[in-house]
Amino acid sequence: MSDIASRVKAIIVDKLGVDENEVVAEASFTNDLGADSLDTVELIMEFEKEFDIQIPDDQAENIATVGQAIKYIEEAK
Amino acid sequence: MAYNLLKGKRGIIFGALDENSIAWKTAVRAHEEGAQFVLTNAPIAMRMGKIKELAEMTGAEIIPADATNIEDLENLVEKSMEILGGKLDFVLHSIGMSVNVRKGRAYTDENYSFTEKGWDVSALSFHKVCQTLYKKDAMNEWGSVVALTYMAAQRTFPDYNDMADNKAYLESIARSFGYFFGKDKKVRVNTISQSPTPTTAGQGVKGFDGFLAYADMMSPLGNATADDCADYTISLFSDLTKKVTMQNLFHDGGFSNTGVSNEVMDKFMS
Repeated sequence: MSDIASRVKAIIVDKLGVDENEVVAEASFTNDLGADSLDTVELIMEFEKEFDIQIPDDQAENIATVGQAIKYIEEAK
Repeated sequence: MAYNLLKGKRGIIFGALDENSIAWKTAVRAHEEGAQFVLTNAPIAMRMGKIKELAEMTGAEIIPADATNIEDLENLVEKSMEILGGKLDFVLHSIGMSVNVRKGRAYTDENYSFTEKGWDVSALSFHKVCQTLYKKDAMNEWGSVVALTYMAAQRTFPDYNDMADNKAYLESIARSFGYFFGKDKKVRVNTISQSPTPTTAGQGVKGFDGFLAYADMMSPLGNATADDCADYTISLFSDLTKKVTMQNLFHDGGFSNTGVSNEVMDKFMS
């Protein structure tokens, strides 16, 4: 697992209070990991802070799964 | 219609998320009444909502602040006085959030770290706001501090969950802080207990639509809307209510004192 992927997963485990085993690439934040709208915005803001990037709202809307988040950040870095 | 009730007055408005927010509508009305103010919200709420649009409409500046963080609040109060050019006359606290509600935890199965977080955001933040204003001597005499609450603080509404306890705590702060703020600085502190209102926060409550319709049918004047609440809040910020303090003020079309209405009884007649 890449460094980015493990840091992304750590943030998700911490923010959503879910088990590490549930945080798989295809897991949807809202459907599988129990995130509500506030959680998803909080996650995006945490990713921005952790990786020192900006994720515009229209692109944040397309980040719905763990895998999509990792891919976006890997490309943005 | 505007009456210049807040002409020359300065304030801070917490909690405007989008155009459904009571804080949003209050900001629009305060602007119409001639006030100048700073808008503030938690960074996450700013990201979710449209506060910039409101700031443009009302000529207000935005200062992000986490209302549970004293440093943020101190910065907010100092900067607001700088921007507005003097001490403040009004402050609206329109903030609330329950993690237990968001995560679907029943009242009988609370996660206490969720409970503490919700209490800090929804209730203790009001004390933190008042204490920061008090210690910074940031309020003018006859200034007015208002927080929004709900009747679940007095009577049980099962789906309101731990927010009921948070609101009871919030209302108590208005009484306790109101004493000292009144004695020492001639500042009013009140809470408005508003009808259920379809805002982003309100809609987080389970079964909200049914409850809204029930409350409307149980209120002789019908539910008070967010616009009505904004009007009422303006009256509490104005000089026309100078001796109103330490009160929990029901603004609910009569719901809180109605035992039953004919319309509700009709539903049970055979």
